Amino acid sequence: MIAVRIMMPEGESKFREYITALRENASAACPDLNIEPYSSEFSPHIEVDSDISFNSKLELAEYINEKFRKTDVKREKIIGENGLWTWLAYLWFDPLTCFDSSTGNRIIREEAKYICSSDYRDYYRHLVAGPYRIYSLHGSDFSKIFLYSPIHEHNDFIEQIASRQFLISHPNLIEVLFRLYWDESKEKPKSGAQSRGKPGTLRRFVKVIQQFELTYDVYSLSAEEIIRLLPEEFNKWKE
Amino acid sequence: MKQRINHTGRKRIRREWIHINFNRHKGSLVSFNLSRLDLPAHLELPLGAHIFVEAGYRTELKRFCFGTVASFSPPPSTDLTDMAHPENLRFRILVVNPINKKILALADRIAPEEPSRRKSILPVEFRDLGNRIWIIVYEGDEGGPILCINSRIPDIQNIALRDSRFFMEVYPYVIREVLTYMVFVEGVDSVTDPSVDWHRDWLEFTKLMGIQPPPILKPDDSRFDKDRVLAWIDNVVEAFCNKYSHSFEEFIRKMEENP
Repeated sequence: MIAVRIMMPEGESKFREYITALRENASAACPDLNIEPYSSEFSPHIEVDSDISFNSKLELAEYINEKFRKTDVKREKIIGENGLWTWLAYLWFDPLTCFDSSTGNRIIREEAKYICSSDYRDYYRHLVAGPYRIYSLHGSDFSKIFLYSPIHEHNDFIEQIASRQFLISHPNLIEVLFRLYWDESKEKPKSGAQSRGKPGTLRRFVKVIQQFELTYDVYSLSAEEIIRLLPEEFNKWKE
Repeated sequence: MKQRINHTGRKRIRREWIHINFNRHKGSLVSFNLSRLDLPAHLELPLGAHIFVEAGYRTELKRFCFGTVASFSPPPSTDLTDMAHPENLRFRILVVNPINKKILALADRIAPEEPSRRKSILPVEFRDLGNRIWIIVYEGDEGGPILCINSRIPDIQNIALRDSRFFMEVYPYVIREVLTYMVFVEGVDSVTDPSVDWHRDWLEFTKLMGIQPPPILKPDDSRFDKDRVLAWIDNVVEAFCNKYSHSFEEFIRKMEENP
């Protein structure tokens, strides 16, 4: 177990250098950033398991949520704490990166997945902050549709929905997504839900809701009312 | 000429019809205050349409009901302490048909008037004041003023926030009282750099009205000029009345049209 820390700018810079180095050299040495001035201990004192493994983003989010809940740290106090999320990504960096099965090389994704950014184009992409943000807003049931995948993967539900403030902030829309596209028996999204260019799929849902947004006070509508308003192309998914 | 077609038919609530600001406690943003929302008759909004205010930023969203077009009624609380990134919050004001849930009028991405790091110089609270209509209490930060309005008066929140007559009858006296208290009861230690924040805020306000304060605002200073200070307070009140006279004239005009 290790005490939670906040990554400082010096630490973030070193972490960035390490990520860059890994792209060139898979055996680049990981710097120790759990010391001043690279990071400082989070207050109140909270310990997390550095060796824990998570089967899904949901497990990761639940774990973090439970740690902060137990010490009565409110979500609104930590959501914008970029240094905290960057440090957690540093702590769990190995499981947050995956290995190419054919070459055995570690796959390093874009920096925003590991270094938490305030940039509106990137903030939802962080592999630790993103799941926690969704989980803390929508709870364990409805969050599943975003958080079913392995912790190193970034799925299209996150990319299409979490990137859009209007959509991700409306619990009734998240319930609609869940009811349309979640396959309860398989514990994952229905097959084809994330396909491109097909009627009634996720990307069409986004477009239709963006039209609704111009006319309806979507917040006032129940999930059932929204489903009823959806055009015929969604009928297949309502079943 | 390029034509714009509004397919939805919804009306735009103009920014100048809205006064909205953040409230702070010990420097932290705690709530907001929608002190003015004009919905002119030419918008032809149904009286029963609901008014909602949303505070939002990224994934954060919180909604407050402000009654109806006929009866503007702020909620008991506009608490924002459970929202992340409070400094970045922007507001959306919607007028909604309660039957079909369609948006009838909208103002989007509204930033509070004042920079959010500044606090309101006169927080308003509604309390049971017995038979008095309003009082000033000095219970704010560093003993700053709070305008208390009697909550026993029917529809008082609506009147206080939207009635130009109330605005013009009460606020000049409030300004006079606060400035008098600030100078003659507390004394301002420095006109250029006062040590008390609310003194600083109110001096800024008087300068915004175009009236420069006298150099000494501390009664026990031998250079203190009582008559000059009283004239300064008078001038600030008059400047305030002149600045907002159009609201009062508009109110009188409406009264004459709809006696």
